[in-house]
Amino acid sequence: MAKSVKICCVCGSGTVSSSMVANKLTEKLAEYGYDVTTVECSPNSAETTLAAGGFSLMACVSPVYDDFGVPKVNAVGMLTGLSEDQVIADCLAILDKE
Amino acid sequence: MQSCYEDLIILDVDAKDSEDVIRQVGQLLYKGGFVKDTYIDAVAAREKEFPTGLILQDIQIAMPHTAGVHVNTPAVCIAKLAHPVEFGHMGDPDTKVMAELIFMMAIKNPEAQIETLQKVMGVFTNAEAVQALKDAEDKETLFKVAQHYIG
Repeated sequence: MAKSVKICCVCGSGTVSSSMVANKLTEKLAEYGYDVTTVECSPNSAETTLAAGGFSLMACVSPVYDDFGVPKVNAVGMLTGLSEDQVIADCLAILDKE
Repeated sequence: MQSCYEDLIILDVDAKDSEDVIRQVGQLLYKGGFVKDTYIDAVAAREKEFPTGLILQDIQIAMPHTAGVHVNTPAVCIAKLAHPVEFGHMGDPDTKVMAELIFMMAIKNPEAQIETLQKVMGVFTNAEAVQALKDAEDKETLFKVAQHYIG
């Protein structure tokens, strides 16, 4: 059975780029047996979003400097396609430990 | 869903900096009624705080955009610059992007326009699509390429 995980996708507007990445992450991680739920937000609203709890990681398309106690993955490579595999590997390294 | 319109395709944009790019290209969206009069200022302000430059495999681009509240009708405006213009990098403030191609996004509701967002991202990651956009030397050709890949 697929393991359910929650990922917070962060970009500047909290909408456009994060939605692009969220969809792709959900699709790719499903291949590794993860049933991903994503919530999109901006760096400014990350704290409020993460307060809901249960997030395994933050996939960041914009830089996030603050530490919210949730591991961060740089997800820009997902958007450009240049390091898609690396982004997935970084996510799996966190998810597989849970 | 249609996102690309011939009136939203522009070549040889001669801009001095990223804000100039946003103001010139944003005019097309505004004149066409796709966005509200608040859109251009909102995009320009957002670009300063959260830059949208990206380095793709064969080209450097920027995808300026803002919140859906400034948008009337969803669309993607595609602009080729007369010469590369410096944008900040989306993921790394220390990296500069010399953008040649601009995807100015008017997105009203990301969930409803997810197909368009996926297609634009599909272009970023598709070397063949990028090459076709680079090769297009007139408005008609660029429009056809954009419509083929983005819709």
